Amino acid sequence: MSTILSLAGIVKRFGGLVATNDLSFDVAQGESLGLIGPNGAGKTTIFSLIMGEHRQNEGTISLDGNEISSLPTHARIGRGISRTYQVPRPFAEMTVAENIRVGLMPDSLRGMLFGASDPQAELDLAQSVGFSGDDLDRYPSELSMGDLRKLELARTLATGARVILLDEVFAGLTAGEISQMADLINTKRKEGFTFVIVSHDLRSLEPLVDRVIAMARGALIAEGDFTSVMNDETVRSSYLGT
Amino acid sequence: MTQILIQGFLLSGLYALIAVGFTLIFSVGRVLNLAYGAYLVIGGYAYFWLSQTLGMPKIVGVLLAIVLGAVIGISKYRLIVKPLKGDHVAVEISTLILAVVVQAGIVLLFGDASKILHPIVSGVSRVGGATVTYNILTAAVVSWVILIGLYLFVRFTHLGRALEAVSMDVKGAAISGVDPDQMNQLTWAISGALGALAGVFFASYTQLYPGMWVTPLIIAVAVVIVGGIGSILGTLLVAHIIGFMEVISTSLIAAELRGVFTMLLIIVVLIIRPKGLFGRAEL
Amino acid sequence: MFATVNWRHLLLWAVFAAGMLLLPELVKKGTLRTIIMAQYLAIFAMSWDFLSGRTGYISFGHPFLIGIGAYTTAILSYRFGVPVELSIPIAVATTVVGSVLFFLPALRIRGSYFALVTLAFMELMYQLTQVIRPDLTGGTRGISGIETLTRGAVNGFYLSFVLMFVTAFVLWLLSRSRLGTALSAISMNEDAVAGSGLNTTKLKLFAFCVSAAVAGMGGAFWVHYLGSIAPRALFDINFLFTIIVAALIGGASTIIGPMAGAFFLTFLLEYLRPFLPGAERYLIYGGIALLIYMYQPKGLFEIVSRLWRRA
Repeated sequence: MSTILSLAGIVKRFGGLVATNDLSFDVAQGESLGLIGPNGAGKTTIFSLIMGEHRQNEGTISLDGNEISSLPTHARIGRGISRTYQVPRPFAEMTVAENIRVGLMPDSLRGMLFGASDPQAELDLAQSVGFSGDDLDRYPSELSMGDLRKLELARTLATGARVILLDEVFAGLTAGEISQMADLINTKRKEGFTFVIVSHDLRSLEPLVDRVIAMARGALIAEGDFTSVMNDETVRSSYLGT
Repeated sequence: MTQILIQGFLLSGLYALIAVGFTLIFSVGRVLNLAYGAYLVIGGYAYFWLSQTLGMPKIVGVLLAIVLGAVIGISKYRLIVKPLKGDHVAVEISTLILAVVVQAGIVLLFGDASKILHPIVSGVSRVGGATVTYNILTAAVVSWVILIGLYLFVRFTHLGRALEAVSMDVKGAAISGVDPDQMNQLTWAISGALGALAGVFFASYTQLYPGMWVTPLIIAVAVVIVGGIGSILGTLLVAHIIGFMEVISTSLIAAELRGVFTMLLIIVVLIIRPKGLFGRAEL
Repeated sequence: MFATVNWRHLLLWAVFAAGMLLLPELVKKGTLRTIIMAQYLAIFAMSWDFLSGRTGYISFGHPFLIGIGAYTTAILSYRFGVPVELSIPIAVATTVVGSVLFFLPALRIRGSYFALVTLAFMELMYQLTQVIRPDLTGGTRGISGIETLTRGAVNGFYLSFVLMFVTAFVLWLLSRSRLGTALSAISMNEDAVAGSGLNTTKLKLFAFCVSAAVAGMGGAFWVHYLGSIAPRALFDINFLFTIIVAALIGGASTIIGPMAGAFFLTFLLEYLRPFLPGAERYLIYGGIALLIYMYQPKGLFEIVSRLWRRA
């Protein structure tokens, strides 16, 4: 398996606080990687560094073998990587269809001006994450947390990204919504998407990942398959807070 | 040279007084009160009406102007800012509209022409070739007393600490038993009172006219942007930078250009540091 | 191209144009002159709204943009005898280029600070036009005797109507495109727009350039309608206030809103003139604007369309 996303020697400091400390890992093409760790371990920071929302102080991030560290967020998305957020961020005064439409837009003024929107593509994407055709005209305020996460996933998929970073994708969902979301992720895995998933819900995470990385205080403390990481002494103690 | 130094210090004191009420709202309420300048107009005209038209003692005029400022501050918070629930854009727009409404109301009541205020404290003395009116000297001294008082209040009183807590983290403060709504109301009252007081002095330093809110607003804005949000030391520092720039450009370059440097300062600082020189988080 | 345009929309536009073009037959010359002012205000309000109403970046500096356009053509035609056919396009180009140079750094700034910088620009412009090269700008007194393009109210009306109509139609097309959707998305959550793979700086710059071009064009034609220009009338908070209030009470982020707001305000002003000759009318303006804004921030357009839906 070839490496698609690679982080090498990432250091990020916020003022005096070290958020990630010399962190390196690779993600293989088509792999699903779980990222776990206690609160404040630096998982979300990793996502925002990969997406260019913050810049690392040291180290390199590459996608498909090309360094992307100097690119702004939208350009990284153009290279095929995108993320969701712990707190979904829909466009509040736009319908489901319009939210997806923004994700589908090409990043070119000419394309946005003269290219027509593609209702079929919007419908396909909405259906691919489990919406029905009737949902297209609904507004975010009418949606449940599960639907909001689906909408955010649809918008993320709409950008054409093949590597998807999911941040706390199960938070705030009912049991039914969790299993729906899990099915959805597994379907997308089969379609060849690469995932990095951050979750506190370890039980839901287990069947979705090929491999797990555990972090604590900004550093990588264990790496391997789910069971071996869970049985790791350092991981256990970091979760217990000792 | 002495002239510039003395004038600079006195004017800077006045500017610090103008700015402090504005930074207070910016830091505690986290909103941009574009109607801040209206307090100055209202304070100035209230004092004018009370002491020069009705002939009340000057000190009564000043005190009543301050009270009026506080009342208007509270009403502004209750009627406009609170219902808009911290929507920054809406607060900016509605306070801008309010400022124009106040200006128009003043024209309706007092007419368009500018008025001359008698100095609140009369008398002049000459220090090393510089003319110092007791009026602006009083303004500067009052400003210093208020700034130091405010600093001590925030630092050492329970209420002051509660205010500071709200300015840092509304939810956190609420959890620890501080009522952010009450704190906001208090801040708006203090801000209004300080604005009205500054208005009395500013009007007696320049002139009293309905459009006199724009210049102080720009000064206050510059102080907040350059000096940092809610920093009393920063307020003082920047008020002095602006005050001295004005005095120097007035006496050495051209009187018409005195406001230009304030604007340039705002623009340059924001362009170099989009979040302000000592900016704390985005607004 | 724009998929969301259908014949019904075009029919409405045609009816609107036909109705407006009949006005010179129906109303008095005096009313026509009021309509001309309303149409220029509508152009400015639409220009403001395309930037601020859509993206949520509040510009307090629109008089600055209008002023660049107006002063450029006034100076070129009055001082240097440049023909108007040339000076107006130059004025529009100058507004766009000049304002982009000034504002490009400002576009990095978010939220309230953007509004403050634009306000500072307007005040700066006011002070500078009086001091720098008064031989060109006419200083505090401004310039009068500038060539006018039309004679009589009727021709003035036709010209300003064409300008307003073309502006409205072009901005409407833009807002119906995907680009319009993306601009509105910026006001809702700018980070999420970037997170959808779009370059928000490019989008904001585009909105800004369009807004500046419309403002510059409006300003240039306006000065050739009035025949005079002075800094206090232009770089004035009351002027800024009128533009913003027109856009807001009509309904921000729409096309009909700023136009309706501009007509409403201008006619209100006309009717108030006998009773309130001076600046007091801003009390009424502001009072109405504040009430409407506090009640429904989306303006009359939203109030009317809600009533419509209920009925």
